[in-house]
Parts: sequence; C-alpha cells; structure tokens
Amino acid sequence: MKIDGMDRDFIVIGENVHTTRALLRRNKRVTTDESGADVIAYATLAGEQRFLPIPEAIKVTQDFQEGRIKHFKAALQQAMSGTGAAQGEGISYIQAIVDKQEAAGADFLDVNVDEVSLKKEEQIEAMQWLTGRVQEMATRPLSIDSSDIDVIAAGLAAYDGRNGPALLNSASLERPTALDLAQQYRAAVIVTASGESAMPDGAAGRVANASTMIEAALAKGIPANDIYLDPLVFPVSVDPEFGRHCLDAIAEIRQRHGPDIHITGGISNASFGVPARKYINEAFLRLAVDAGADSGIMDPVQNDPKAALAPDTPSHAIALATDVVLGRDPDCATYIKAWRKKELA
Amino acid sequence: MAELSDIRNQILQDEIEEYLERPEEITRFIELFSRAKPALQDIAAAIIEGDDDAADSLTAAALEHGIEAIEIMDDGLIGGMGIVGIKFRENFVFVPEVLSCARAMRAGMAHIEPILSAAGVEKHGTVIMGTVKGDLHDIGKNLCIMMLRGSGFDVIDLGVDVAEDTFIDAVEESGAKVLGMSALLTTTMPNMGRTIEAFIDADLRDDVQIMVGGAPVTQEFSDDMGADGYGPDALSCVAVAKELMAAGA
Repeated sequence: MKIDGMDRDFIVIGENVHTTRALLRRNKRVTTDESGADVIAYATLAGEQRFLPIPEAIKVTQDFQEGRIKHFKAALQQAMSGTGAAQGEGISYIQAIVDKQEAAGADFLDVNVDEVSLKKEEQIEAMQWLTGRVQEMATRPLSIDSSDIDVIAAGLAAYDGRNGPALLNSASLERPTALDLAQQYRAAVIVTASGESAMPDGAAGRVANASTMIEAALAKGIPANDIYLDPLVFPVSVDPEFGRHCLDAIAEIRQRHGPDIHITGGISNASFGVPARKYINEAFLRLAVDAGADSGIMDPVQNDPKAALAPDTPSHAIALATDVVLGRDPDCATYIKAWRKKELA
Repeated sequence: MAELSDIRNQILQDEIEEYLERPEEITRFIELFSRAKPALQDIAAAIIEGDDDAADSLTAAALEHGIEAIEIMDDGLIGGMGIVGIKFRENFVFVPEVLSCARAMRAGMAHIEPILSAAGVEKHGTVIMGTVKGDLHDIGKNLCIMMLRGSGFDVIDLGVDVAEDTFIDAVEESGAKVLGMSALLTTTMPNMGRTIEAFIDADLRDDVQIMVGGAPVTQEFSDDMGADGYGPDALSCVAVAKELMAAGA
C-alpha cells in the first residue's frame, strides 16, 4: 500500500486467515442467536450481520472453558466438514475475514492451519483445502505459513498463482531447504533471523543469521525484491532490550543489503503480555519503518498502517508506547498505569 | 468456616475481594490466609505487590523469629504467588507485573532454599525443566522450578529455546525420570509434540515421564501429543511431578 510520506510501498502481510486466532468469550461478538444457540456474530464486508455457530467440539475444549474461542478454527472446521447451514456460515466467515483483510490493504494473505490438528496429515489436508478456497475468494496472493515444511509444500502445490506469485513463510538456517521450495514454485520468501538450533541473541546475532540467509537466497537465484527478511520481533514486556535488538538489526541489515530486499516482521509479537497492545504495535511499527523496514506481518484491520505511519505528531499513547518499545519504561509500569487510569484512549 | 475478615492483612483482604471470582478459589485463599501467621500474610502481600525488598527483609525476619522455612514458603511466598497467577489468568495483571512478582518471590526463596536443602528435606528425585525451541518465555517455567526445588526435587534447568536433542541429552546424561516442558506461544506449543516424537525416535520414551504446561497448553493438547502429565499453573506442577515420579519408579 501507499503511505503518505514514505518513498516506497509498504507491504502488508495480513495475518488473520489463521487457526490460532482467538476471541475472548466475554467479547460481545460471542452471543446467542434467536433460537438460543451459541454463535459468534460477524458482519460481511457489505455490512450484513451473520452468525457463525460454535460447534460442540469447540465448547468442550479447555480453551473454551477458560474463556477463549479459536474462532477461525471453528469456521474452518465447519467449512471443511460441517453440514448444511453451518458449513455455509463457515465459508461465509472465512470470506468475510478475507474481504476485510483486503479492504484494509493487505498485500498478501497469510494462511496458517497449524492449530487445526496436531496430525500432519490433517494439517496438510486443511492447508490444501484452505489454499484452494481462499485463492478463489481473494484478489491478493497468498502467503503460505506453517511451522512444518511439508504443510508449506502442500499449500504451495495447491496454490495456482492466479493472484500473483505466492510468498513462502518461512525459510531459516534451521530450515534452509525451504529456499529450494521457493525456487521451485517461483515464490517470494520470508527468511528469518533464527539460528540453526536457537533463537538469535541481540542485534549482532540477528544480522549474522539474516545475512547468511539473504546470501543463500540470492545464490539460488531468488531476486532481491522477492526476499522478505524477518528479524524476529520479541515481546518488549519480557526484556527491555528486546525492542532495540530488533530495531538495531533492521537498520544494520538495511545498510548492509541495500534497498532492494524487503524487511518485515511479526509486528504484534512486540506487544505480547501488555494491555492496549494496539499502541505498542503502532509505536513498534513506526520505529521499525524509521529503521528501514518496509513491510509488516500484521492485521491491518486492528492496526491500520496508514494511521500508524502517518507523519503526524504521535499521540500521548504512542509516546508512552514508544518508551516501552525502546526500553525506557521499566516493567512497562508507566504505560500500564496510564492504561488502568484509562488515559491511553 | 473462615471469613474474609479473619485475614489480618488488609492488602490480602482487598485482593481476594477485588480479583477472585471462582467460589472454590475464594474459599481456598480465605482458608489459607486466615490461618497463616500475620508475618506470612505480610510476605504474601509483598509478593503480590512485586516488592522484592520487602519480600527479602520480611522473609529474613520471619526466619529469625523461628518460623519454619517450609511454612514461610507455603503460606507466604507460594500463597502470594497463587493470587498473582489467578490475576494473570484473568487479565488483571500483565507479563511485566508477573515478572516483578516473580522477582519478589525469588528474593524470598533465596533465604528459604539453602535451609531446605541443608535440612535434608526428603528428596523426591530429579526433574529436567525447559522452555521449548523457539520460545524465550521463562516466567512460568521458573516459577515451577522454584516450587519444585522448594518441595524437595532436584531440578536441572535447561533454560529457554531448548532443542529436542538438548532435552534428550539431558535425560540420557542425568537419568532423570521426569521431564517438564513449557511453552507460552501457540506457535511454539507444537514443539512439545515434536520433542515427544524425538524421544520415541531415540527409543527413550519409556525411560522418562513427560509433563507439559504453559498458558496456551490445555489438557486436550497434552493428551493429543502423548504427554504423561499436564498442569494448568505453577502450583499444580509439584503434584504432577510427584505423581509422575511415582509412575516412573
């Protein structure tokens, strides 16, 4: 998407077509329909109010008992193997999410079925099904995302490329063969700064791992502008240094590898464990783009990049969130206090 | 039956009234704190407030006054952390705040642990603990470790971002009968299942009892991936470990 004041496109990898997505049961969208059945209310892009049934299989899960609903998983299961009206609602729910991601400016739709089942065969089946359906529903290309390379391979094989080349999410030192898959399918590829058997340490560790992966991708003939580097965003609530590690790595990688590669990252990881996550995400995104990033793996519905990256003076909430991201607010104490006093909105 | 007003410490009274919703938890904490010595109630309150200086000095003072180390740990340190765990589960407090409470608990445990190990509390055996690959979160795991050590287990802490092979090597080298894995992210949770598979592939699955836990982990998930035990919070870790230790003996 175009962003005012930014001299290159900002590329949104929309991350909501995901079985990990959860709603709290106390969310007002979780309700009952006219017949008294438990449902999740949702609106289509055209604004029509509809209701996704909550299947019994979801209600007996501990997640549900403890107050969380994996809503996309509920939709996918019913769309794939439900019957009658429930199946139709499952498909319509997925369509609504796809439409809203695109309307909010997603350039890729990141598709992930990791939580549909623990069994690889079932993940593969779900990835094939979902890729087939979403490519029909969408106008944008898909980002095929899994922690399992075989599931990624199944998704790439199922994608017919009608919306443009796919994005593979992801290759790393631990999973270098994913680069061969990207080459085989002529897909763009997210390469992460993860180490061979461990997460990277600090900015220098990220830069070293990222550089190895970028060079490996280039050596395989993958063009620089098909490479999306993910420096790995860690939660700022856990260690006040984590924000800076990532931002410093972005600046160094941009300087070292030039303007052609893309630099992205899981923006919402930054805000894990902190309330009012939206402001932390936006503050992190601004800082990442300032450091040289030009993409985000994010939900553009929750965090509108145009608003987050607008060249306005940051609001009070964003200023406090910026202190959190830069490690200037020990234990996020000032930020959380402001949130409790409802001073952030 | 004890009443809320039987608790002498005002902070504890307020905390129970304001944040606890489940009747069985309200009863449990009223029972616990109403019979706990006032000095230990104050320690629990210091943990809840994340005040590590107070936790440190109050624990030292309680020991000086002759209160048993195990009682200080159970009623004061673990009792306070129990409230923090519930507040975290219900989204009343957040990760950085739980971290400061855990720091306070550690400050208290620093006085308790040497006494318990010197006193030769009956040892239950060795447990290996680690956060799975790709996951850097150690609050929950470290709480479990504190509880286990305080309860007489020897613990080998493998830290965070632990690869399958590291778990396997640790079991082989130590001969530990129980292994605990933690994950805080839905994206890293599957690495628990992968680690269990790695134990099967290495033909070592029968040598070790495996327990799992962490915020996104559920009993169903634990059963599906073939773990032997699951605990919803750090408090339950000790009971699960004892059970598995007996099963693996």
